[in-house]
Amino acid sequence: MHQYLIMCRSLTYAQRAAVALERAGITVATARAPQELTDGGCGYCIKVSERRFHEALKVLEKFNLPCGRIYRKGPGEAYTEVLR
Amino acid sequence: MIYLDSAATSLLKPSEVHSAVLDAMKTMASPGRGSHAPAEKAAETAFECRCLLADLFHVPEPEQVVFTMNATHGLNIAILSMIKPGDRVVVSGYEHNAVMRPLQLAGAQVDVAASPLFDAEAAVEAFAKRIPGAAAVVCNHVSNVFGFILPIDAIAALCREHGVPLIIDASQSAGVIGIDFTSLGARFMAMPGHKGLMGPQGTGVLICSGQVRPLMAGGTGSNSRSADMPDFLPDRLEAGTHNITGIAGLMAGAKYIKRLGTVRIEEYERKLMGLMRDALSKIPGLTVYAAQNPEMQTGVLSVKHEKHGCEAVAEALGARGVAVRAGMHCAPSAHESAGTLAEGTVRFSFSPFNTQAEVSTAAAITNRILKTL
Repeated sequence: MHQYLIMCRSLTYAQRAAVALERAGITVATARAPQELTDGGCGYCIKVSERRFHEALKVLEKFNLPCGRIYRKGPGEAYTEVLR
Repeated sequence: MIYLDSAATSLLKPSEVHSAVLDAMKTMASPGRGSHAPAEKAAETAFECRCLLADLFHVPEPEQVVFTMNATHGLNIAILSMIKPGDRVVVSGYEHNAVMRPLQLAGAQVDVAASPLFDAEAAVEAFAKRIPGAAAVVCNHVSNVFGFILPIDAIAALCREHGVPLIIDASQSAGVIGIDFTSLGARFMAMPGHKGLMGPQGTGVLICSGQVRPLMAGGTGSNSRSADMPDFLPDRLEAGTHNITGIAGLMAGAKYIKRLGTVRIEEYERKLMGLMRDALSKIPGLTVYAAQNPEMQTGVLSVKHEKHGCEAVAEALGARGVAVRAGMHCAPSAHESAGTLAEGTVRFSFSPFNTQAEVSTAAAITNRILKTL
């Protein structure tokens, strides 16, 4: 099962996105972004499962919470950017 | 002790505030500075507090709620971010030095919309004359000396009409009077955490709309490779480690305010002020600064004796267990407007934790002191 990382511009923004997703019944985790994925150094992301990923994007769009870059990763794999 | 100095600091706080501060000190690190549980708990607390305050003041997004050290810090950010040397800035005749000194520092041309004490209509007229063409308006919501509620809705409407940005000093109104930041359309609103919001000293909030220039630069736990401060709120204005123990206490205080409701708080404090006003008005030689229409005054009451100096009266009250504040209250502009600049006043200020019995006792002690001083 893949996990998706939705990059957020700030911790507060990631927390807002997480609240919107949790309220929609989508379990997510807010985390510091992996070092190799942050252009500016020190960033935040929300982690969502593959099963709820597309639904999560719709929720974020509905609440006008634009996503940053999105990456996916499976067990033992490197992060791959997901193009939208 | 009868504590009647809540306009300075709300010493009497809900017990939840004490517990929250202690719990934060034991269990929280710094928001956004790690993936471990203490950092995450701190991040959750900071976010929850932002959301709560955004809800309390009708702010659309929690990012607009910036944590500061106090209201003065927030006002410095707002004023120094917006005002250039020579800008004409309109202020009320009741401003605190937390407004006047940053304006002086910024090199502003201060244009005082002077008006008599407790005359809201005159205040609106004075602002209406000066707002067109001004670079900004900075206005106290409630005078810290007299409890005079400035007509902020009308002043904000004038600012919107003329496209002049408004900075509100909500130091005496936050947590006491309901405020709708979005409806007012203000650019900034600054408030302390340690007065009406019942938080600990060293906490404050600046509510922002739009872009702002940082007053301080430093680590934010975001965009760390960049030499510039992040261009997004709240990170843009929150350099350095947060006062998370203070923020946790502030959140507990704000929850208490939300539970009680500002309508009840405002009514209760006004009732206590009315009791004190009525009792002190009977004392010969004492001038009591009270509004004819009590709706124009919060739970803050200033008095002046014809013979005894305000510091001597406050010292005598303190010696008998009544805590009040005397002097200029860091607001010479307000004293100038009320004609008390030379002597200052003794200020009684109330909180939801004061009782009517305390007010009666304090009034009786004041009466005795003024007879024997």
